[in-house]
Amino acid sequence: MIRRLASALGLLLLLGAMPWAAADEARVLLVANAGVDSPRLTRDTTRALFAMRQRTWPDGRAARIFVLPNRHPVHARFVKQRLSVYPHQLQLAWDRVVFSGTGQAPHRVATQAEMLEQIATTPGALGYLEREYLDDRVQVITIQ
Amino acid sequence: MIASKSSPSSEARLAGMLGAALLAAAAPVHGHDEGALDTLQLHGFLSQALVVSDDNNVFGPSSEGAGSLQFTELGANASLRPHEDVLIAAQVLSRRAGGDASDASPELDYGLIDYQLLSDQRRNLGVQVGRFKNPFGFYNQTRDVAFTRPSVLLPQSIYFDRTRSLALSADGVLSYYEERLPQGTLRFQAGVGRVQAGDDLRRTLRLDDFSGDLDPETSAIGQIRYEHDGGRIVAAIGTADVGAHFDSRQPGLSDGDFYFRPWILSLQYNAERWSLTGEYALRESGLENFNDPRLNFDTTGESWYLQYTRRFLDDWQWLIRYDSLVNDRDDPDGSAFEEKTGGAIPAHSQYARDITLGLQWTPLPRLLLSGEYHHVDGTGWLPLRDNPDPDETAERWNLWLFQLSLRF
Repeated sequence: MIRRLASALGLLLLLGAMPWAAADEARVLLVANAGVDSPRLTRDTTRALFAMRQRTWPDGRAARIFVLPNRHPVHARFVKQRLSVYPHQLQLAWDRVVFSGTGQAPHRVATQAEMLEQIATTPGALGYLEREYLDDRVQVITIQ
Repeated sequence: MIASKSSPSSEARLAGMLGAALLAAAAPVHGHDEGALDTLQLHGFLSQALVVSDDNNVFGPSSEGAGSLQFTELGANASLRPHEDVLIAAQVLSRRAGGDASDASPELDYGLIDYQLLSDQRRNLGVQVGRFKNPFGFYNQTRDVAFTRPSVLLPQSIYFDRTRSLALSADGVLSYYEERLPQGTLRFQAGVGRVQAGDDLRRTLRLDDFSGDLDPETSAIGQIRYEHDGGRIVAAIGTADVGAHFDSRQPGLSDGDFYFRPWILSLQYNAERWSLTGEYALRESGLENFNDPRLNFDTTGESWYLQYTRRFLDDWQWLIRYDSLVNDRDDPDGSAFEEKTGGAIPAHSQYARDITLGLQWTPLPRLLLSGEYHHVDGTGWLPLRDNPDPDETAERWNLWLFQLSLRF
């Protein structure tokens, strides 16, 4: 009886954990150039970097921001899940800094393969990738 | 003519300074892996509108024939980061909104050097030196860029076209400070500088009949803005103290001073599919120190709007807005004003209530098509230049705008 209960509970836990695991798998990772010396960023700093309001890494070096097109599903997922903003808000933030002299636009890439190449070869680069696009030329940054 | 009299010299100075800075920045820096030119960015925009009205003219002869095409906005900017803490940026703007074709001659919209003194995970602190865009309300800093506006015309009760030169930019120093709190971000901006006092202001003050110069004086502007939860809720409060001196050459008329002290409160809620935006402004303005008491005045105007925007089908957005302007809180229906002018200027020139329905479509990231309808009661913000005789204006009127915008 207890064993049956335990296994039922186990199954329930497993089922309950499944969507979590799947969500974690689908999580888009924050990725930086290997030379970057800031393994952790707060979510607010990450958001400020992608909104082009913060221009430097915490260690003072220039940050180069790379993004996929607004309508790319990975862009939408990254922006919503990791930055808690919407793609249209981010686009408006870029237009506002670019046309008011308060900042620059992020660098656009068309695909995740191109994102990987740019992050690997650009000093100070920051972008995002799905896990299967990672290789050891870049580093994953933890969002605190 | 004041604009063309006073600004070219300061503009030339600014342009020269920026040119030198750009040149110095673009020169390869020893010890760095890459030249600063790698950070050079060029952007621009072009907007062309068709303006149609049944009565009253907006931006050219909009009430005649098929309407007016005299609303064109064209801008180009360059920015460069010669050092990780420095940004150099300049934008040239050519804008025609009715009037003469010569109005479209390019002007320096902003040109500045931005130096960030401090930047870490908690806060940013920096200064901008040069010609900076005034941080006033939600939309002022990019008011001429269609892609940053929710509608072709910004709510005119606050983003007046008829005294736009005053609000645009200032030549001086703007400092900014951003502090990240656990729940949101606080941003402070405070600037001191010389604003532009163009022909539009002079016309609106009805000083255009007198000979003399209207020269801007050093003004101050400040804004505190709080963004909660990544911008889901945005709140801002701002104020400015702007002055200009009228140097009279009119026989019998003394010099006088203009002042403008607005307060503005801004609130916005952003959901994934919709946004609700409201702004409220109290605008104290006046003329003083003229020996002719008929010129001196002091009034407080009241402006507010409430706007709902809804996004649908990925690249469409519709908008509904109510926008209310009262030139003088003590005379909201304008009757006292009409009486004072002996009936020469109608009461409806002192207020405007505008209901707007708008639609925007972004079929491509670089292309925006917009259309909107305004039903307006009153002519409080109607451009004076397009309607020289206030007595011939209609109190209730309708306005349609269609705009095509490109950016790169």
